[in-house]
Parts: sequence; C-alpha cells; structure tokens
Amino acid sequence: MKSNAQAVRTSKVRKFIYSNNTVGHVFAAPFIFGFICFSLIPILTSFYYAFTDYSLGSKTSEIVGGRNFAMLLTDDIFLQSLGITLKYVFISVPLKLAFALFVAFLLTRKSRLVTLYRSLYYVPSLVGGSVAVALVWKQLFARKGLFNSVLSDAGFSTINWFGDTKLALWPLILMSVWQFGSSMIIFAAGLKEIPTSYYEAAEIDGANGFQKFFRITLPCLSPIVLYNLVMQTISAFMAFTQAFIITQGGPNNSTMMYSLYVYNQAFKYNNMGYACAMSWFMLVVMSVITLIIFKTSKMWVFSEAGE
Amino acid sequence: MKKKLISILMTAGMILSLAACGNDAGGQESSTGGDTGSTQQSETSSEASTSQESSTAPEADGEQVTLRMAWWGSQTRHDITVEVIEMYEKDHPNVKIEYEFFSFDDYFTKLKTLQASDQVWDIFQLGGNFPMYMDKICFMDEFIDSGIVDVSDIPEAYLQITQDIEGHQIGLSNGLNTYGIAYDVDMFNEAGVPLPTDNWTWDDYADAAMKIMEKTGHYGSSKFSDEFIAGCSTYIGQQGKVGEYGFFNLDLTGMGFDDPSMLEGYIQMRADLINAGASPDAGAEMEITNIENDFLVTGEAGMTWVAVNQFPTIYDICKAEGRTLALATLPRVSADGPSGAVIQSSQMLCVSQDSEHKEEAAAFISWFQNSVECNQVLQGERGIPVNNTVRDSLKANLTEGQQIMYDFVDLIGTFDVPEKVNVLSPDGQDQVVDKYRNYIQDVAAGNMTAADAAQKTYDDAAAIFNK
Repeated sequence: MKSNAQAVRTSKVRKFIYSNNTVGHVFAAPFIFGFICFSLIPILTSFYYAFTDYSLGSKTSEIVGGRNFAMLLTDDIFLQSLGITLKYVFISVPLKLAFALFVAFLLTRKSRLVTLYRSLYYVPSLVGGSVAVALVWKQLFARKGLFNSVLSDAGFSTINWFGDTKLALWPLILMSVWQFGSSMIIFAAGLKEIPTSYYEAAEIDGANGFQKFFRITLPCLSPIVLYNLVMQTISAFMAFTQAFIITQGGPNNSTMMYSLYVYNQAFKYNNMGYACAMSWFMLVVMSVITLIIFKTSKMWVFSEAGE
Repeated sequence: MKKKLISILMTAGMILSLAACGNDAGGQESSTGGDTGSTQQSETSSEASTSQESSTAPEADGEQVTLRMAWWGSQTRHDITVEVIEMYEKDHPNVKIEYEFFSFDDYFTKLKTLQASDQVWDIFQLGGNFPMYMDKICFMDEFIDSGIVDVSDIPEAYLQITQDIEGHQIGLSNGLNTYGIAYDVDMFNEAGVPLPTDNWTWDDYADAAMKIMEKTGHYGSSKFSDEFIAGCSTYIGQQGKVGEYGFFNLDLTGMGFDDPSMLEGYIQMRADLINAGASPDAGAEMEITNIENDFLVTGEAGMTWVAVNQFPTIYDICKAEGRTLALATLPRVSADGPSGAVIQSSQMLCVSQDSEHKEEAAAFISWFQNSVECNQVLQGERGIPVNNTVRDSLKANLTEGQQIMYDFVDLIGTFDVPEKVNVLSPDGQDQVVDKYRNYIQDVAAGNMTAADAAQKTYDDAAAIFNK
C-alpha cells in the first residue's frame, strides 16, 4: 500500500517535471528573472520617480506631481532634441529600409557566394552599435579624416562635418543606414518566400523588371516591410551611441538626440526625476507613431488571407 | 551558502598560488600562509577542510584588507599611479588595492552612480566640485588627531586649500595648481607677435591669436571648452579691485557679481575668435580628447589653456619634436588690474564614508602625499606636492618642463591675491557650463548678441541657488 502511494507520488513528480509547461518555465526562468529585475522593476520605479524631484546622489526625493512634465514644455533643448530625433527617424529609417531591400534583392541571385556576401553585409549590424565603430566614424568624418582628404585630393573644398549645425546629423544618419544588416536578412528571407510562379506568369505576360518589382515583389513583401518599419523606427528613436561618442550632442545641440538628452539630464546634471519624466514622454511619442504605422498599414500591407 | 562559496574560492585561489610557488624555484615569499605551503603541497589530495583552515588563519592575525581606489587623468597618470600602488602593496602585504581609472567625465558619472548606491570607492579623487559629494566624504580630522595621517610636514596654508568653510579637513591635496596659457614660442615668432608678458591683457591675447591664424594658418588658440573656471570666472575676478568680485560668492550661496554685462566682453571675444577661425569650432574641439592630443601639442595651434600640472607632460612631447613651449599667465582685463590668478589644490584624495576600512584608506593617502619614494615616481604630475620634504626632494632634479612649472607657480605667488577666494563649483554648474558653451556658439553664428548670452549665462547660474 505504502509503496503504491509512493509510486503514485513519484510518478506525479515525474509527470510534473516532464510536463511541457514545467520545462518551458524552467528554461524561461533566467529570462523572466532578468526581465523582472532589470526591466520591470526599473520601469515601474522610473514611473514613480517621474513624479518626484529625485536627483542622483541624494537619498530623499519629494513628490512634485506633474511638475516635471510641465517643465518639458518650456525646455528649449528638450523640444529641440525631440525635433532632431524625429528628423533622424524620418530620414534614416526609410533610407535604411530601401538600402536593405536593395541589397537583399541583389543577394537573391543564385550564386555560390551568396551566403558569404550575406554574412559580410551583416557584419556592420553586428559591430554597428559598438563604441569602436562610432570612433571610426568620428575619424572618417574628422576635419582631416578620410572623406575630407578624398575631397581635397579631388580638388574640392573640405567639409566641416561636425562643426556645422546643419551637417552634423548626416554622418549619424549615414551610420545608421550602414547598419542595414538585420533588416536585410529578414527581407532576404521574405523574398525567398515569394512563389516563382508569380514571376513566371508575369514574364509570359511581358512584364519588365520594374513592373515585376512593384507589382509582385513589393506587395508580397509588404507585411515584412511593416515589421521592419516598426522595429527600425523604435530602435531609431533609441539611438544613443553615435551621438554620445561622435558628437556629444554638439555643435550647439544640433545632434542632441532624445536619449542622449535623457542621459545628460540623468547622469550629468543629476536631474533623475526629470529624466524619468522625459523617458515616459518618449514612450508616448513612440507608441503614437507605432500606432499610426499600424493604422495606416491596412492601406498598403497586402495580406493573402484578406483577399 | 555565501560562506561556502567564499571558502571554495579561497581554496581554489590557494591551490593556484601553491602551484605558482611550486613552479618557482623557491625563495619566493608568499604573502599569505607561505610557511604552511610546503605541507599543503604534499597533501593536495586531502580534504578541502584542511586548506580551508589554513586559508582563514592569516585573516585572523594579519587582517587582509582590500581598498578600492579611483582617479581620473591622462595615460601618464594612470601608469605612475598604478606603479605607486604596487609599491604600497609590496610594503604592506596585508593591503590590497583594487584600482579603477577614468577620463574626467566618466569618472564623475561613475561616482554619481556609486554615490546613489552607497558604494563610493574607499579612496577617491575630488576637485573643486566636491560640495556635490559632501555626504560621501569622511573628514580627515580624526585621522590627523590619531596620528594615522601625518601632516607635520605640510604647511598650514596648504592644508587649508582642502578644507571646507568650517575648517574640516576634507582631504589631502594632491598638489598645488593654477591655470596658465601654454604657447608655442616659434609660432609666436613666426607670426611676429610679441611674447606674452606677465600682465598681458585679453586684447593682447585675442590679437596674438588672430595674427597667428593669419600668418601661420594655424589656430591662434586651441580648445576653449574646459576654460569655464580658468577663463570665464577668472574674467569676473579680474574686474574691480582685488577680490571685489567672484563668479560665485565666497560661501557658495549666490552669485559673486551683480552685473551680467561684466561677462559680455569675454563672450564676444570668444565668438570673434571662433568666427575668424582663430579658435576651433565645436566640431574641431570634439577631436581633442585629452591634453596629449591638444592642437597645441599636435602643432595646429599657437596657444592652449592648461592647468599647470599638465605642462611638463606636453612640454616633453613637444620637445621631442623639436618645438619649444612656454607658459604665460592668464591675460588680464586691464594691464594694471587684478590678475585673478589663484593657487589652488589641483585635486585631493578623500576617504569615503562608505569605506569599511577608513583608517587603512587614510594611511594610504598619508603615504601617497608624504612619502618621498612614492612622489619620486609621481613626479608632481598631479600638481606641485604640498609636503615640504617631498617638494624639496623633487626640486633637486627637475626636468625643464617641471622647472618652468615651479617657476610659474612661484611667480603667481608674488601676485596680489585676495584674502579669500572661492574655487568651488556648486551642484548644477555642469548644466550652466554646457548652456554657456552653446550660447557662445550662438553668438558666433549670429543668432544671439553677446549681451543676451551674458544675461542668460548669469540667469542660468543664479538659478542654481533658487532651486
């Protein structure tokens, strides 16, 4: 009797251990732990601090209500940084996606070296967010950097990239476009999924390359374009490294990206509460823009199920 | 659990160090439990408990102490500081110092986060911005009273430069320092500009910068961005009578002057120099990451701002390239007006409130400032040592660059200085300085007048005290 009960218990334990749910949770546990400790709790505390005058280094903070949010509207640098970030997003994301699609399209050819090329083109995305590449970029566009020496050798006058408030953002945009790898890989996978029979049919009807691209490739790829657009928009809003390393927001705040300004307020000027309020404002802005993208997507995303 | 982990780690460390001893042909003195080593070695297969026993033993009598230390500075400073730390560890086998070093900006970012989490390094370096970190500083008075920190050879005046208003010893100064302008003698001659005199004016300075730019095509003056204290606030102190004005007031509770237009001339001059190409714009300034690649050092500028402790390093670099640098005083508003120059502490080492070994930390600082042997390595790179014996021993064999620095500080000492000056920075100054730099760029770009920029800078600074 006793041993029977024990056997039942062990089998229950066994069942519990081997059930898919348990295995799943065990494997997900490190992530869940990390998410709660390093994302969820900080997110919640930052929401609280957004309503306080918490300054880095002080032990006490007072609740000040919506004062931080009210201050945002009168902060010139904040408004400027918002404008700069929007400009950066609206220019860099479409350029990046177009470039990624172009390269992905080139790499659909049947060639033995395609895998090698794909890996090579992916490299900038792997190293792209790093400090090292930002430093290289800084050197390339320096007064006596590669681009300027090429220009001067070719007889043109050199360009003061980081000294001119109108130009300084462009090297940063170019750097972001250069990191097209992850979008490219997704596009390449999407391109493979388009049935060749469509193209064959179009060819029989006498369609040229442009027509095939705009009538077949783009519509079939549109769900993937949507995905890439959303992901890249979000990550563009969070751009930090380039501005921090290359320009530090200068000259005259012309490259003061939103996240860099948040960092400065939090860690340089010690206004942690204000920086938290700013981050939450950014969340609202990003949500609105993502929502707009999703709402308008019905008009241009082709879904086979819907037709 | 934690204890077990520690003991496992210690055991592992023990075995490793034993292995190291074994490879060495003997004669090496192991710092902890070296004498039990031979018996241990023959029993490596024995239970962990034995090694655990012997590894906890030295902790009881020798008391192993680990101190954490951090500083900011140039590569040269990092190298020599690490060297003296190793010297200290050799003399004090029971002390282990874990060090970190940073650039100036990164240092304070890190310090602020440590301050927030109550984990400030045991020994840390601070400059004139210490009021922000006051709650983390453990006053040295008790260590001086108990004799752990020896100040017998440091003149009272040099102790005062690192005391707060109430006279608490907040740290021991790493050295005396003052600001000056380093310049390239040949470039001045080439441009036909008279060399700076001890009471040259800002007009002379701007004139020299413009002429150097016109004649040689190089910048007249290199980067300005670190000069808020040396330039902008000195400019205020140079007006009126000696000690009449300061940028902030003496007890750091408000502004030290009432008329924003006192800043106007300086801001206008800076904007003019940038516009004329006689001083680098913001983009070019970004290329300078430390004093060792300043445009003066790379031969692209005729002058630059220095804290004089930086001078010997750049002097040597330029000398190796066959160029001669010299050191000039800060220009004045009027040739017969106050110099505005102050001899101050470059930085100091402080003991942290978070430290668990405050006495050991204080002992290290005492050694760092008072030991001749240690300072022979440091060579006054942080400023002229405050300890008399140390200073004399260094003076005995100075390099050319150091000689110029010592002479310069002596010269500044002869100037008429106010009884009390405020060289401290209030919390919130960083943001004021960042904005001020942008105003100057706005003036240079023609988006703002110098008068507006002066007014705005004044308002920003005054707002620090109205929070």
